[in-house]
Amino acid sequence: MNPTQRNIAPAFKTIDSIDILPSEKQLLSNNIPIHIINGGSQDVLKIEFIFEAGIWHQNSPLVASMANSMLNEGTTNYTASELAEKIDFYGAYIGFSTGKHDASISLYTLTKHIKDTLKITEDIIKNSTFPQKEFQTILLNKKQKYQINHQKTNVLAKDKFNELVYGSNHPYANTYDIGVFDSLDYKSVKEFYQKHYTPNNCKIIIAGKINQEILDLLEALFGSNKWPLQTNLPKKEYNLRATNKRRAFVEKKDAVQSSIRIGRPIFNKTHKDYTAMQLLNLVLGGYFGSRLMQNIREDKGYTYGINSFMISHLNAGHFAIVTEVGKDVCRNAIREIFKEIKTLREERIPEEELDLVKNYISGEMLRNLDSPFALSESLKGNLAFGFDNSYYQKFISELKKISPDQITKLANTYLQEKDLYLIVCGSEDSTNYDS
Amino acid sequence: MIKFDKFTLENGLRFIVHRDETTPMAAVNILYNIGAKDENPEKTGFAHLFEHLMFGGSVNIPNYDAPLQRVGGDNNAWTNNDITNYYLTVPKDNLETAFWLESDRMLSLAFSEKSLEVQKNVVIEEFKQRYFNQPYGDVWLYLRPLAYKQHPYQWPTIGKSIDHIENASLEDVKSFFFHHYAPNNAVVVVSGNIEIEEVKALAQKWFAPIEKREIAEKAIPQESEQTEFRSMHLERDVPFDAIYMAFHMGKRLDEDFYIIDLISDILSNGQSSRIFQSLVKDQNLFSSIDAYLTGDFDPGLFLITGKLSDGVSMEEAEQAIWTELNKMKESKVSEYELQKVKNKIESSLVFSEISYLNKAMNLATYEILGDANIINTEVLLYRKVNIEDILNASAKLFRKENCSTLYYHSKK
Repeated sequence: MNPTQRNIAPAFKTIDSIDILPSEKQLLSNNIPIHIINGGSQDVLKIEFIFEAGIWHQNSPLVASMANSMLNEGTTNYTASELAEKIDFYGAYIGFSTGKHDASISLYTLTKHIKDTLKITEDIIKNSTFPQKEFQTILLNKKQKYQINHQKTNVLAKDKFNELVYGSNHPYANTYDIGVFDSLDYKSVKEFYQKHYTPNNCKIIIAGKINQEILDLLEALFGSNKWPLQTNLPKKEYNLRATNKRRAFVEKKDAVQSSIRIGRPIFNKTHKDYTAMQLLNLVLGGYFGSRLMQNIREDKGYTYGINSFMISHLNAGHFAIVTEVGKDVCRNAIREIFKEIKTLREERIPEEELDLVKNYISGEMLRNLDSPFALSESLKGNLAFGFDNSYYQKFISELKKISPDQITKLANTYLQEKDLYLIVCGSEDSTNYDS
Repeated sequence: MIKFDKFTLENGLRFIVHRDETTPMAAVNILYNIGAKDENPEKTGFAHLFEHLMFGGSVNIPNYDAPLQRVGGDNNAWTNNDITNYYLTVPKDNLETAFWLESDRMLSLAFSEKSLEVQKNVVIEEFKQRYFNQPYGDVWLYLRPLAYKQHPYQWPTIGKSIDHIENASLEDVKSFFFHHYAPNNAVVVVSGNIEIEEVKALAQKWFAPIEKREIAEKAIPQESEQTEFRSMHLERDVPFDAIYMAFHMGKRLDEDFYIIDLISDILSNGQSSRIFQSLVKDQNLFSSIDAYLTGDFDPGLFLITGKLSDGVSMEEAEQAIWTELNKMKESKVSEYELQKVKNKIESSLVFSEISYLNKAMNLATYEILGDANIINTEVLLYRKVNIEDILNASAKLFRKENCSTLYYHSKK
């Protein structure tokens, strides 16, 4: 160890590769793929059942998410409250989520209770009955949640942005108005469940300390032919309809802060420029040391936080910058955001800053991929694109090669002010920041 | 069972080391025994504002964040009414960077006028974002002073008002630092893929030279017993009515804490819990409802917060909650129901032991409460809770004169 010199940073190592716990793929006898991530120190398991039953596949809004939520509300064997009792008694947890393409059921359980908890999960997936009373309760509670959320300036700004970037009827926008809750057809939700939660539409990811007995149990409960297949569903197609209107104001009376959302449609993670674009995003607004955070928050004090990110959908994607700022500084904040973007287009990024973000994102990967549960989440995202977690290895090696000139070039290609959408939600229209 | 080693430097700084070789990372968590309850009632929000200033550069290092990010690290911090907690994670080989950065800001800050001005604005925006720009966001600004009349828990961590933050001066900042930030008023936990000998050597090198400081005496006014029901009505532009009920309970380390934690689980942990089943699913009186404990170090609160279903009156909703609470006082819970909530506690303990960072935070909190090993013994206190304990604690807790209720009306 060197002597204590407080004004000089200690030596450090960079991350050249990541040691990721590998996943192994097997098939149940009915061809459901199981991806196995075996590791960790606790005797716990996460088993996620993923179905192609997301928003993309529904015929009208709310159908996919209601179908997913209703899985927990009663089966041919148990009522909703009996299911809840059982799961709670074993100290287990079942999570439900609906994404743009997938919908899933995730069981978190102590390994010692896997036989019982997996049996309940099987029942939920195969035998849900969708009782009418529970349907009404869930729908009304979702409606109230929607109404409360739509009081928030950031939610209103997000909805408007998605509408402009994807088109209001596109599943990636997934915006709908309150009337949808009253017109939702019970039958179509139940039918959606019956058609989409089937073995030929399913994949499984299991993470934790796994042995053969657990895999045999999965085979016994989910591999059998007694779980009937369905005929193939018609493929759905949607056209992206980005509007030419680049600015919009959403009024929220009396709001003390304005939500700003600036962004554009962009490629997804299968594109050759994706890794470099991630770096550009980091530099601009992707971490605490980013230029936007340093300028808008740490220098000007306009906001509690500002960040930017890329969303990668299967068939499209978008880039966005989001922040909430005091209403009196909203125009200034917008001008500063565009100024930072302009700087990225016009000035070469210093090597030192680029190295810093490369190191930072490598550390971030190491941090986010260190447990079987975290890896199962990443794997889910990667599988959708036909990758596995070796994707990150490739990402790290590509990262090293990206030059400052590449960043400047990307900024010029993708971050022209005229191409960026600007949404403001608040009590005052500040979209005319430049006049 | 979480294993750890403990040692204390001559300046009083305590170190706890927990090895978890399943991660390639290391976490350093530094907890300072200073929170919003230690503030002057005329200068509230200061502990939290100060947390922001801890990132404004230290005496030898002008920028805290960039050197950490350069080695692949990340960090954050939080303040509550009792403590201020700073944490960071780094790839294990870069642990020394963490010691370098954290020891320098324990040594002294840069105390920059610019940083103070900017962070005041940032915190004011945080205040607006959390409390005024969210539906129901301002509730704690009213519920705390309704429930507490003497104890400083009557103000939220962010402060009583924006004025208090605006008025903070650099002199206040300096005085606060030297009275509360000191090796003898902090606990450091290092967890992850690390060796105890390495941690000892780094601690000696970077933290041992910092001198012990005179810590301000804590003279916190304690709350006298509430003797009559308190209530307050607010009317706001929100879509639905909401109700917030606060009951006084004991300290974090009282034996009652574990009993009352189980009571809150019986009432509202999981879909099979009583108030969820009865008030949300069966009777459709609430769209969401929750019962939980603040978990404060000094005597804290048991809370019930619920959003009413459209068309339900405040009276009906309130009565339905009391009906459930009275059941807890009047009839024994079954062995089965008690076992269920105990199972949930044990399970959540196992799940919480997955994250090295989570373990570091918990170890630090328990150490400041008195003993890091509480992390391992607490489960026994939950296990020994019996049916009579639940009945007796409920009877003591759920009394009208022990309750403060805030009625949050939708302006329609």
